[in-house]
Amino acid sequence: MAAGDARVSCREMRLDLMIHMKNVMKVYDNGAVALDNINVDIRKGEFVFLVGPSGAGKSTFIKMLFREVLPTSGILTLNGRDIVRMPVGDVPYLRRSLGVIFQDYRLLPDKTVYENIAFAMQVIEAPRRMMQRSVNSVLDIVGLRDKYKCFPNQLSGGEQQRVAIARAIVNNPAIVIADEPTGNLDPETSWGIMDIFQRINAAGTTIVMATHDKTIVDAMQKRVIAIEDGAIARDEAQGGYGYEN
Amino acid sequence: MKIRTSEYFIREVFLSLKRNNWMSVASIGTVAVSLFIFGMFLMMVMNMNKLAQSLESQVQINVYLEDSVTHDSARELETDLKSLQGVEAVKFVSREEAMERFKERLGDQKSLLEALDDDNPLPDAFEVTITRPELVKDTAASIEKLDGVESAKYGQDVMEHLFEMTRLLRIFGFSLMLVLALATLFIISNTIRLTVFARRKEIAIMKYVGATDWFIRWPFMLEGMVLGLFGSLIAAVILRTAYTATVEKIYDTLAFFPLIPEQPFLNYITVIVIFSGMAIGAVGSAVSIKRFLKV
Repeated sequence: MAAGDARVSCREMRLDLMIHMKNVMKVYDNGAVALDNINVDIRKGEFVFLVGPSGAGKSTFIKMLFREVLPTSGILTLNGRDIVRMPVGDVPYLRRSLGVIFQDYRLLPDKTVYENIAFAMQVIEAPRRMMQRSVNSVLDIVGLRDKYKCFPNQLSGGEQQRVAIARAIVNNPAIVIADEPTGNLDPETSWGIMDIFQRINAAGTTIVMATHDKTIVDAMQKRVIAIEDGAIARDEAQGGYGYEN
Repeated sequence: MKIRTSEYFIREVFLSLKRNNWMSVASIGTVAVSLFIFGMFLMMVMNMNKLAQSLESQVQINVYLEDSVTHDSARELETDLKSLQGVEAVKFVSREEAMERFKERLGDQKSLLEALDDDNPLPDAFEVTITRPELVKDTAASIEKLDGVESAKYGQDVMEHLFEMTRLLRIFGFSLMLVLALATLFIISNTIRLTVFARRKEIAIMKYVGATDWFIRWPFMLEGMVLGLFGSLIAAVILRTAYTATVEKIYDTLAFFPLIPEQPFLNYITVIVIFSGMAIGAVGSAVSIKRFLKV
């Protein structure tokens, strides 16, 4: 089935669904099949771990969610919106409804903590009077209020990741997508990050997190989706990491 | 566009010009040089066009009559001339009139003519103006065949050369301008590419947090336009000064040379140069940034 034929029926637009994937397949231009026949539903407010060996398709899965990668075929809706058939001009507005966090933080080195976070509001032309209040409030959430004037190179890795989280949530996204957010951090710092994620999740935000961190996945007892060889190998409501590190 | 967004854009542009100061200076310089040459050729081509036009409009055939022709038969000849194809007007110049003109032209040296005593060696003549310059050759030939006509003269060789030269200059000038425009485009697009490349991470982050392509594109386009504007201003100032000086020099030595008067000509040139500079800057940036927007 070609992507163009995939129509989203009413049944598939269930209101409580944040992510709906049906028969999703991704073949890259070089012929490599990254994902094959993926069927996943993630409800609003869920906390989901995405696990699996490197190169199994986790990154493609994550990238499809913020439409850096388009599925070759299948149905993919995010918060009720059909991502596959979405016009290119609407993609910026889709991304405003989701927050993205990367392993390498991706902060701007010549901007302060405050400016890095405010930047996310600036580029979507949010009202200025909202900016200060929103930035301060997310700085409180990640516990960096007193470091707002620092530059990224003056912060530890954990602190930098917390700035990245603040930036991801400053525009009140419905879903936060994190790709190995603790990949560069020591265990103790990682728990600090997870604590923030849990609080964001408790406030109603859906979280999808790709990770290799066995300790965290095992301890948190959240839903676990394991991807192996481009297919879903396991989907457990309260799972463990399931691989030996 | 919202006011604070424009503030943001303007700040970004000047920050980036400052950050790449040497590259910015280099591109402003190149733009200035390219647009100066472009402007110079534009002025030359326009002046050559004007010269050709004024010479074309002056093309006339001097028809000299045989001495035996009486005034009566001259009048018949005039009707014959007027009936020829391509002839616009025919003016009779008697030998006495021709002598007067000759004296006038000699001015202070008209005493030379005293040597002639009262003999007038000049023939009666017609000045024939024609409708289209291209017809001059054929018309002159058919006039020479008429009875009583000694010769029909026009600046044959000069005209033919001039037509050829104008044509060549137009072709050469326009191709050179095209090449220069492309070269300038290339240089600006490379400078902007540096800026874009230096800020590719920032662009990627902007894309991830949902900035629209135009929001990302604008500061770079503005930067290109500012580079183009500065370069073209320099070129325009030099062109204006150079043209004014040239016009003065030529009026001193070759007063008959019909140059286009400075005003409003120089203002048109300035507008064209500035507009081209900014347009090239904008297009150059748009080209460089295209690749980086695919995130």
